[in-house]
Amino acid sequence: MIIKTEIKKITILPGVNKLGEKENFEKIEINKGEIVAIVGPTGAGKSQLLYDIEKLVQGDSKSKRVILVNDKRASKKLRFEPKRKLIASLAQSMNFLTDISVKDFLILHLKARGKKFDSELIKEVIEEANEITGEPILSGTNLLNLSGGQSRALMISDVANISTSPVILIDEIENAGINKEKAMQILVEEGKIVLIVTHDPVLTFNTDKRIVIKNGGIVKILKTTLREKGIGHYFNWVGNYGLEIREKIRKGEKVEKVKLFCESIK
Amino acid sequence: MKLVIFAGTPGSGKTSVIKYVIQELKDDYSLFFAKFDCLKTEDEKFIAERYGIPTMKKLAGELCPDHYTALEIPKIIKENQDKDIILLETAGLCLRCSPYIKEGLGINVLDVISGSPDRYGPILTEADIVAISKGDLISQAEREIFRTNVLRVNPKAKLAEVNGLTGEGTIDIVEFIKASPEIKTEKLTLKHSMPSAICGYCYGNKIIDEAAVRQRYLQGKELKNLVPNLNCGKCGFKSCNEFIRAVLDGKAKKEQCPFIKKNN
Repeated sequence: MIIKTEIKKITILPGVNKLGEKENFEKIEINKGEIVAIVGPTGAGKSQLLYDIEKLVQGDSKSKRVILVNDKRASKKLRFEPKRKLIASLAQSMNFLTDISVKDFLILHLKARGKKFDSELIKEVIEEANEITGEPILSGTNLLNLSGGQSRALMISDVANISTSPVILIDEIENAGINKEKAMQILVEEGKIVLIVTHDPVLTFNTDKRIVIKNGGIVKILKTTLREKGIGHYFNWVGNYGLEIREKIRKGEKVEKVKLFCESIK
Repeated sequence: MKLVIFAGTPGSGKTSVIKYVIQELKDDYSLFFAKFDCLKTEDEKFIAERYGIPTMKKLAGELCPDHYTALEIPKIIKENQDKDIILLETAGLCLRCSPYIKEGLGINVLDVISGSPDRYGPILTEADIVAISKGDLISQAEREIFRTNVLRVNPKAKLAEVNGLTGEGTIDIVEFIKASPEIKTEKLTLKHSMPSAICGYCYGNKIIDEAAVRQRYLQGKELKNLVPNLNCGKCGFKSCNEFIRAVLDGKAKKEQCPFIKKNN
């Protein structure tokens, strides 16, 4: 059973931190297609926040937070449906372990999600993955033979297009071999709510805001400034330029010169 | 009192998950932890030292570790009447036994890279909770396919994705434990029967031969009728079956059992 309720917006209402003090914010709204970063030291309470969102808590978790869906309290049915998985996640280590071709794997995933075979969708997943990675993925390639960058690109495109979970959690994404800004763009275009646990400047400054967690509580919400966005773009350019050089090295070319200045953002 | 049984193959991450669960529960509940294993374990000492809760280890030795667990459960409950939650970790060697109790909570810690869930018997199909571990080693798509397959073989299961390294998913397991029923009756029931143990090999035969198996079985059966089957331990063995094997192997004398001695 797939839950019919479309999630357009999630609202976090304040709870308490580990010391029992009330969190100092009125509410945090995250809309469909929005990216929010979660930052803070290890053990600060990032997992609790993700748990609260996944379980759509109503003041009944340790943090006492309340999560609203589309401005309303979540129904019992939506909260406790065992097959519902609100959050899909992209973890740090990203390798496939299934011995199968890219195309057959995507078909298998479609089936697991209770969807019908759709050759157009499968084509789109592969095409979008190829926009994220430098080396093109072919539909007949075995998953185990994909490079790290190709695997990550395919996973991101697959999560954007095939997973039904409306919220995507990205935990310190391993970034070798992928265009990070492009990857985020694809997730957002598919109408996902994207939460990123990261301290990477490209990913952090590519978001609209970041939630800062300390001692089990949300201590502040920082809006990403124009200046920070510029810094993020600069690091993304450096990363992508690095991808170009990687491709040259892969092809056996010599690299004697390097560009020092960032090109304008397209 | 609640009784929670963790079962799962060796290396699936049972102990790591249990550590996080104990950490989370220990301040609000009085806990007891029993670790069952076959030959050797030090986990019970480690957990007692780190979390300051009473623990014990139970080594099955020559016995089937899951049958042994079932034999020991009543004793553990009797000795721990003052506890809120008893956590048991099985040796996890047999997919067929895994002694889940109807009145308690059965949690299968299932390694996501252990292959198709169809291969598992009651350890998975009879679990109340399936805690899928090591999900960070594979992709979201593979995790989703795995979840679907788990729910196909055990449609009633509640799922949690756990990580023994980071503690992810601990909150889910803790919530499931808090919501699990209290044990009210004295008599507990296994969720499913354990496989038969009725051949010569069960009595310690090592010769691969039909006649030898049968002979050992008959000898064992004869002794089985003489012993009290109370597993009282007065003979120096943990259970009557272990004692019978020792007698047939020439490592113990029949008369070591006070009941046989008295009746002769």
